[in-house]
Amino acid sequence: MDNVDGTEHYNFKSNPDLPTLQVIIIDTNPVAWELLKQSSGLGFPDALSQILIFANAHLAFSLSNRAAVIANHLDGAHFLSPAPPGSDLTDPDEANLTPEQQKIVSQQKASQYRVFRILEDEVRASYRRLIKSTTVEDLEKNPNGSALSGALGLALTYINRVCFGGTGGRSGGAEEKVKINSAGGKVDDTGRMMHAKILIVSVTPDPAPQYISVMNGVFAAQRLKVPIDVCKLRESTVFLQQAADATGGVYMEPEHPKGLLQYLMMGFLPDQLARESIILPTKVDVDFRAACFCHKKVLDIGFVCSICLSIFCQPPEGAVCSTCGTKLDVSSLENIGKPVVAPPKKKKKKKVTDSLSESGVASAAQSPAPEG
Amino acid sequence: MADSDEDFVLESSGDERGPRTRGSRRQTRKSKKEDASAAPRREKWEDIQRSWDTVVEAADGSIAGAVIGLLEATKRKRLLRDTTPIQRGIIRHLVLVLDLSSAMVEKDLRPTRFLLTLRYARDFVTEYFEQNPISQLSIVAMHDGLAMRISDMGGNPSDHLTALQEKAFPLEPKGASSLQNALEMARAELFHTPSHGTREIFVIFGALSSSDPADIHETINALVDDRIQIRVVGLAAQVAVCREMVMKTNDGDDSGYGVVLDEAHYRELMMAATSPPITKSESTSTPSLLMMGFPSRTVENFETLCSCHSNLTKGGYICPRCSSKICFLPTECPCCGLTLILSTHLARSYHHLFPLKNWVEVPWSDAHLSTHCFSCHFAFPLNPPPTSPSKSRQSHGLTTKGFEKGSQSQNNSTQNAVSQRYACPDCKTHFCIDCDIFAHESLHNCPGCQAVPASVTKGRANVSSTTTANSRKLVGHNMKTQVAEATKMLEKSKIAPGNGTGSSMDVDV
Amino acid sequence: MSSQAMKGFEQLEGLPEAIFKRLYQQPATSLAIFRRMLPNLAKTFVMAMLFNPDPIPISTLEGWVHPDKNSLKEEAFAKLRQLHLVTERQGTFALDATFKTELTKALTGGGSPGSFGLPCDTDDKNKVDISFLDKYATEQWESILHFMVGNEVPSSRRPSEGVVRLLLHGKLMEQTRASSEAVITQLGFSFLLQEANAQVWTLLLLYLDMAEQLRMDPVDILHFLFLLGSLELGQDYDMKSLTPTQKGMLEDLRDYGIVYQRKSSSRRFYPTRLATALTSEIRATSSPSRSIQNAISHGDENGFLIVETNYRMYAYTNSPLQIAVLNLFARLISRFPNLVTARITRESIRQAIGKGITAEQIIDYMTVNAHPQLRKNTPVLPPTVVDQIRLWQIEGERMKATPGYLFKEFSTNSEFNAVCRYANDLGVLVWADQNKGNLFVSKHEQIADFIRKRAQPNR
Repeated sequence: MDNVDGTEHYNFKSNPDLPTLQVIIIDTNPVAWELLKQSSGLGFPDALSQILIFANAHLAFSLSNRAAVIANHLDGAHFLSPAPPGSDLTDPDEANLTPEQQKIVSQQKASQYRVFRILEDEVRASYRRLIKSTTVEDLEKNPNGSALSGALGLALTYINRVCFGGTGGRSGGAEEKVKINSAGGKVDDTGRMMHAKILIVSVTPDPAPQYISVMNGVFAAQRLKVPIDVCKLRESTVFLQQAADATGGVYMEPEHPKGLLQYLMMGFLPDQLARESIILPTKVDVDFRAACFCHKKVLDIGFVCSICLSIFCQPPEGAVCSTCGTKLDVSSLENIGKPVVAPPKKKKKKKVTDSLSESGVASAAQSPAPEG
Repeated sequence: MADSDEDFVLESSGDERGPRTRGSRRQTRKSKKEDASAAPRREKWEDIQRSWDTVVEAADGSIAGAVIGLLEATKRKRLLRDTTPIQRGIIRHLVLVLDLSSAMVEKDLRPTRFLLTLRYARDFVTEYFEQNPISQLSIVAMHDGLAMRISDMGGNPSDHLTALQEKAFPLEPKGASSLQNALEMARAELFHTPSHGTREIFVIFGALSSSDPADIHETINALVDDRIQIRVVGLAAQVAVCREMVMKTNDGDDSGYGVVLDEAHYRELMMAATSPPITKSESTSTPSLLMMGFPSRTVENFETLCSCHSNLTKGGYICPRCSSKICFLPTECPCCGLTLILSTHLARSYHHLFPLKNWVEVPWSDAHLSTHCFSCHFAFPLNPPPTSPSKSRQSHGLTTKGFEKGSQSQNNSTQNAVSQRYACPDCKTHFCIDCDIFAHESLHNCPGCQAVPASVTKGRANVSSTTTANSRKLVGHNMKTQVAEATKMLEKSKIAPGNGTGSSMDVDV
Repeated sequence: MSSQAMKGFEQLEGLPEAIFKRLYQQPATSLAIFRRMLPNLAKTFVMAMLFNPDPIPISTLEGWVHPDKNSLKEEAFAKLRQLHLVTERQGTFALDATFKTELTKALTGGGSPGSFGLPCDTDDKNKVDISFLDKYATEQWESILHFMVGNEVPSSRRPSEGVVRLLLHGKLMEQTRASSEAVITQLGFSFLLQEANAQVWTLLLLYLDMAEQLRMDPVDILHFLFLLGSLELGQDYDMKSLTPTQKGMLEDLRDYGIVYQRKSSSRRFYPTRLATALTSEIRATSSPSRSIQNAISHGDENGFLIVETNYRMYAYTNSPLQIAVLNLFARLISRFPNLVTARITRESIRQAIGKGITAEQIIDYMTVNAHPQLRKNTPVLPPTVVDQIRLWQIEGERMKATPGYLFKEFSTNSEFNAVCRYANDLGVLVWADQNKGNLFVSKHEQIADFIRKRAQPNR
């Protein structure tokens, strides 16, 4: 019986080839695009067309592939496609066409594959509406505006819905697994119905105050095993480097932004399956060094408050953390390298609650003015 | 305890006729009692919640709507927790004690207690380091009356996973379990840990007794002296000594002791221990300043030995102090003992410090404000609000044809159900239950607050821009560094309200 | 299920180069060929080359791929060459110029109007909706299937002469001497077990085959088929832009339920779901082929089969077609108004295999039609049953024949090894004997090329 080899009849695919959802986050900050145009000649309309071709190429890979486009605008993130249900889908420019013109438009549209056309129409219409709602005031108020964390949040919740049926990639829930199975699609063992990847086309500088929320988004993406690809056209960035590195995505800063399309096609198009067999360009030296809070120096070795994790380049004066106001024990710093001995019991307990006013003065008075 | 009662009833309802009829009979008796209000003191078991009592039939007799409501309620139960920013022990030292005694061969948890526990222990290790990247862990097993070390105190999850795989899985659950031995071993292990971190023991206890060489109460007292906190998950029934030691080491709070109901609940209890404990009193840890290295990553042309495993590797991280090569972070430099981390590891812990606020369920009266989930476009059931039908028309007047058709047919079945909408208290945006859970469990952001209300988006009651106003104020031009900004955010939070002035001065300069 | 549909496409691969060149002249066809006929890695290569004006050195592409994924790379290269999508010159790859422009047009929407169907510019007085089209397609298609298994079909819904001719031509049915009525053949049985989309393709490829005999231009036909795949469901299209051949085809396609025309003189047509799903690849069973399955699946859209570990089968159906199909591989026991009970036995499976049905087909059929209750299990079917069916199949397969080519008498051992490795990378190596220096492969063209190249290392 040993001679009967049935193995070739058992070639189950352990990992079903799942379709891919591509979420594209585009900066739509007009100021930043204008600056880019001046420096490299790539304007937003060109870039958008190229990105749409990229999206089409993604959709062309498989009929089940899907794409979503999110605008990272001055003050907020907006879905361009799929447009939120219930929103006005008509193109503001198209509404005042004569019937004759409309006919021509519809004839032109017939020259395009319907899946591509739907995406393009939706993106362009939503974008025009977005720009019309933006005032000069907004621009002046917020020339570097970006809602990266919001855009990431939208992208991830949408991915959670589309790719995991809202289960958040938790493999535990048996009941949820059944739900997906009976829906009839293929799933892999984490209940994933589709792969997903995020592409961020960025022209704005890091939205510094959003560091925590952006990183939260990055870690959520990491959990869902969603790579974040970054195409940085201007203004080198630390956040996005770390984001791409943490999630296993591609980070690129094209030297010639005019050739954006070729960068997109070579570097960012390959899906999960192709990425297993392709060597993708990765940024080797990601800057992981931290900067201290007190002098904004980039540090190799620093001191960290054990309560709030603030970083200092030298022990703060009076051993009081200037961020959370906790009185810190610095005694262990002196004998680093030697085995740490439990602190003697008789030591006085530190008081935290009443150090508020004291520490406020300390930090204001003693922090020298940062450079720049 | 209400949980367990409910679950018990749920299970028995699937049985044959017998218990069900008895249940309903009892219920009538209960209602009589209530009328007379004669019962002076009611036992807990008398207040049985019957799942079928809470179900309300819709007009057409379907219970689909009610079922959705119940499902969502159970989903949310996991979620609702206290969200005021509290000080937590971010740097943890935890000893996981696994019971591998003969009690673990029981098959009441499938496939067996032993296998399930080890499987969950694996998940626990991964999740623990995900949640607490700069913490340390050690695993100890109670086996055949002795305590056995599975893995040493360390910060590398893969070390622990290999140790579990190589040392724990081949074991046969055998003999009695000895709590005292295990606690003593754990205590010895935690003795050297620095004072700024937490010291915790997490016991998975399958047996109902402990055979100890000496008085366990002495050990418990010693643990209290050493500021060690204990959590216990019991697999069979509550054991008095476990409860006592949890209470004693947690200032009289026994919430750290749980007994599992089923596999899912077991997992829940295990995973609850992965989020950093709240710092209750000053005594648990001394705040201190830690010296840490932020190594840079290098890629070499030729393979060299790493100093941590003596493996040949091409790339790695270089310790900034002694320049030895390490292949895994976070860790302690094997040469000079400096703690080495990446700035992203610190960022990973920030969400514990600023929990996302709980979202509130939206009553039907406000449901007309939205037709779909803000972030994932999931369509909400549309219930024509009886008060202002014209308004609702407005809000979804522009929906596509198919959408409207679908929702109309849904109307009947969801009459009595919840609105399935959940709103962020800050931005008043409506979300679906799945996004609610995702935002609180994984994302730790509110997509609505972050994405800033847009004028085009319907489905929100009002536009609150307080958060953005604040962040705009904080935008500085020379801010290139990330962690500095992160700490700015820290200041904004409620951890140190008194420091607000100091920090904004820094920024404005 | 995918294997059969792919088989159909392999037939296309054999077409001569000139035909391919002509096929690539339409954006819709280029797109469909790109999507359906290329492996994932090849698609990636094509996209990388598409917007690059210069040819890419092969070494660049080779360096792009992980060294341990060599076999995938070779597979991709082989496919690209086979479809004449690339031209090789001095160690560089260049995309076929026509294909390049047409695919670019497809992606950028720069094609001539009507390259993805010309919608009617006037409103149809007798407009039909999608549910009508679904019903129409289902009825038409089912009537063909019913006819094949010999069920009584009302004369109004009897398939037309053309359909019958096609079935006979494809040897799915044959005319016996005993009666003038056509009866189903073994090939027909295995056809019945296929998934709907695969069935459609099988039939259309037969059509293509037959059309060549009728002197119809195969390129025209393929263009039209691929075009149909890119049309929009529920939209009416104008016949203006069609060639005469394609207009002639419409009539036949209407019989299959692939397009709908109110009457044959009408100048507009509607594609049905069968048409729009044509170019969807099988590998993604999720939406498109699922919905087509639903459109076809005989009233009950959720599957009807329950298979138990004790080899008993319960089919909640009263459709004669379903029962006839079940009867192919199971022993029917009893029949109730809405339920048939059956049993899978060794005899029934051996019988089915004797008819040319494979175990995979049976398993696929049962999986696709599994009852929702059964679908909750993972895997869907009880593994014992699945394994046993496979074992029953290989009972009869003590010997396996592979058509192929023997290479022998290599000059050196190292050359033999190199060729061996290359053949293995291509996935065509069937057998090799190191001692005798013999090598057996299933396809020889590339191997021969390879040996020739090695013989002239200077070039």
